[in-house]
Amino acid sequence: MGVVGMLIRIALSPQFFGPIVFPGLLTVLVVLLSIIWVERKIAARVQMRVGPLYVLKPLGGAIQMLADGLRFFFQEFIIPESTDKLVFVAAPIVAMAFAILPFAFIPVAPKFIPYSVPYSMPVFLGLNTVIPLTILAMAWGSNNKFSIQGGIREAYMTMAYEAVLFIAAYAMALLYGTLDFAEMVDAQGIPGIILNPFSAAAFFVAMIMSAGKLPFDIVEGEQEIVAGPFTEYSGIAFGLTMGIGYVQLYGFTLAFTLMYLSGWNPVPAQLYSIYPALGGIMLFVKAYLLLMFIVFLRSVYGRYRLDQALRIGWRKLFPLSIIAVFFSILLRVIGIV
Amino acid sequence: MTLDLVAALREKGFEAEDRGDVVTVRLEPGKLEEAARLAVELGFDHLASVEGVDWPQDGVIEVIYHAESYEEELRGKLLELRVKVPRDDPRLPTLIEVWPNALFLERETWDLMGVVFEGHPELRRLLMPPDWEGPPPLRKDFKVKTEGVFVNVE
Amino acid sequence: MSSSVVTRRLLAKEGDESVYEVFIGPQHPASGHMRFIVRLQGDVIVSVDPDIGWVHRTMEKLAETKESIKAIPLLERMTIIDSQNVTIGYVRALEKLLGVEPPPRAKYLRTLLSEINRIASHLYGMGLAGIFVNHSTMFMWCFGDREVWIQLAEDLTGARLTHSYSVPGGVRRDLPQGFKEKALKAIRYMEKRLEDYYRIFFNNPQVRARYEGVGVLKKSDAKRLGIVGPNLRASGVKYDARLLGDYGVYDELDFEVPTMEEGDAMARLLLRGEEIKQSMNIIRQVLDKIPDGPIMAEKYMRLVPPKLREQALKEGRIKFPGIFANLKLPKGEAVARAEMGHGEIFYHVISDGTKKPYRVRVVTPAFRNVILFRFLPPGHRFMDFPPIYGSLDYFPPEADR
Repeated sequence: MGVVGMLIRIALSPQFFGPIVFPGLLTVLVVLLSIIWVERKIAARVQMRVGPLYVLKPLGGAIQMLADGLRFFFQEFIIPESTDKLVFVAAPIVAMAFAILPFAFIPVAPKFIPYSVPYSMPVFLGLNTVIPLTILAMAWGSNNKFSIQGGIREAYMTMAYEAVLFIAAYAMALLYGTLDFAEMVDAQGIPGIILNPFSAAAFFVAMIMSAGKLPFDIVEGEQEIVAGPFTEYSGIAFGLTMGIGYVQLYGFTLAFTLMYLSGWNPVPAQLYSIYPALGGIMLFVKAYLLLMFIVFLRSVYGRYRLDQALRIGWRKLFPLSIIAVFFSILLRVIGIV
Repeated sequence: MTLDLVAALREKGFEAEDRGDVVTVRLEPGKLEEAARLAVELGFDHLASVEGVDWPQDGVIEVIYHAESYEEELRGKLLELRVKVPRDDPRLPTLIEVWPNALFLERETWDLMGVVFEGHPELRRLLMPPDWEGPPPLRKDFKVKTEGVFVNVE
Repeated sequence: MSSSVVTRRLLAKEGDESVYEVFIGPQHPASGHMRFIVRLQGDVIVSVDPDIGWVHRTMEKLAETKESIKAIPLLERMTIIDSQNVTIGYVRALEKLLGVEPPPRAKYLRTLLSEINRIASHLYGMGLAGIFVNHSTMFMWCFGDREVWIQLAEDLTGARLTHSYSVPGGVRRDLPQGFKEKALKAIRYMEKRLEDYYRIFFNNPQVRARYEGVGVLKKSDAKRLGIVGPNLRASGVKYDARLLGDYGVYDELDFEVPTMEEGDAMARLLLRGEEIKQSMNIIRQVLDKIPDGPIMAEKYMRLVPPKLREQALKEGRIKFPGIFANLKLPKGEAVARAEMGHGEIFYHVISDGTKKPYRVRVVTPAFRNVILFRFLPPGHRFMDFPPIYGSLDYFPPEADR
């Protein structure tokens, strides 16, 4: 026992296991590597292609992303002369850090909560709002016309989705009477998506906007501004910038599952008795399915225009989220929850 | 209809000739703009082409305008205006006020044939690289250097 | 709109310090072989300067240096995706100079390949229109389905893209066996796919949002600017060089020239879909009506040595003797217009009585449509620029020649 036992105990403690293993860092890595492959495979299936294939052919090129990631890793990271070097280098790292940090506040399974704060939902959303700022910093630090265009688009997009995201989430908080994810799950006899579909719809679209996935990948706008704020990045920094959106999206799908899809329920009791974190398997499965659905949208939609996205944000989603708040109040008043 | 066209041009003092596909009018540079305005009145409201033909033995460059119409009764014909300008100093008035789509066609003719269209707002290089120097490439004294098909080094 | 208003809108405005210049291309994911200097005020486009010429290959000059018939494979490199339609005008001009008419069967075969090429060209354009709003499925589908038509053309001519099929006096090869069944199968497939296209692309709310009401070209402006092809017809002008009856057998066939009144980017896209339907209709009729007979004018068949002639008649493909390349063009000149997938192409061939043409003037549809990059985007948002570009079906190597 002694040191080894202590290490194992630390490794298995919620405070460590949550952020580092599941649903945190390691799982993020696996999700990142697998979901891009899944996205490309789905798109390929729709588009009558094969998709990634040659890296590990028996599994259909499943580790294509690992190969790509390694390539990014060993590629030269060029820092152009004209950039603001500190900002240029630091911004993607800060962005990735803030994309992963929220996982510390996501409960994994009943009674298995890394950092039990009564305000985990606002903390989660709040940490995510830092990412647009870092993207703005990337754009500014790059000192490139396309980047600055992209940065301004990011700023506008933040206007479109942020208010909606918060209001829709608070509508659920109002409904459950708590700001904590874990208590929200416990409060969901009926899944939240059925209780308050307005909130779910608004949150769903806003989170796609937030992660910058199609049909709202306006910030990257490949056809007119090359890669938006990420134009000047190369090597592993480019890999990071590419990953941010997916990591953010993964976090949001977990939050969505916790708030609307009754989280980790039903808990498989046997797995839970072996180790509590394994009881969170349903949380992961639901979140992953949701993630797959979102990346599937790429095969169906193109990209909306910036002002159209803003219009969707303010004219459609914002009223929808306000309706969701009143609907929650109504449900509370008539006492369904 | 075609007879009308020739007659209508004659009426205004332009010698026209019907050659099947095209109705040709040969002009002095001074009367070009007047003829072009008449062509627009007759319904030929845009250009299909502006071209220069180099005739070094005569010392002239012939600039040929082909005007076209989308009207059903006129579309079978092209109205061709032909102007000859001296080879060493080819100058013509621009027609972009008459035919707006002369903008790029004239620019191209200046670029490749060296005909200066006076009053054209942007006679910049279009197809040739911006730093191109030397004779306009479509003139006959510009020889294309071709590489041999076979390697002629043992 | 008076012409001076039109011209004022066409001129590129130089920027002051409040104008933000963005250079799109020539090395840029969406521009292809050209550069746009886009000047923005805030998010609104002030002017666009299309800087073309990056793939200029001096086609007109090179055509002067070659024997007239050798210019056919050269000129088809302008629009390699549409090589029958791009050369048919030149061939017609040569035929007018030489005073030779192709036999009826050759005319039908030319029409057949023209329409196959047109479908392939439209699919290419629609696919690009998809990727310009990042709709990758449309892009992949169109480029995948284009393969069907390319293979059909390969069956007919022996080459996927560079067919060099029409030559003065006729065509190079006869219809291969079993072609009709293959073509009809391709048409049935395409009809089914077009429905899929409507479902995923044309009627997709996101695509509608991006393309509808964007880049509106009024009928009067379209005429005045000499716009050609689907871009013209989408503005309500019923003009198509096929209606001139100068080439092919279009006057013997029953087909429509679709037009649309809106003149916006969506109309330009939808019109291409309609034209594909019409082209398939034409192919059906051609396959039904095609007469038997020679595929080369009698005048030139006599040049072929008797033994080879017999073989040519038997196999349905003609191997020309060297003398064919040395045809003397009679002194004179000829113009010809033909309808490509992108629009009307104009040829003017002047001959001074030698083997080589004295001057070949070619004005391609893409070159005539370049002017729209000046005319349409000002006043639109920057993000509207890719849909406008995509809807124009612009092909840089064709404009640069």
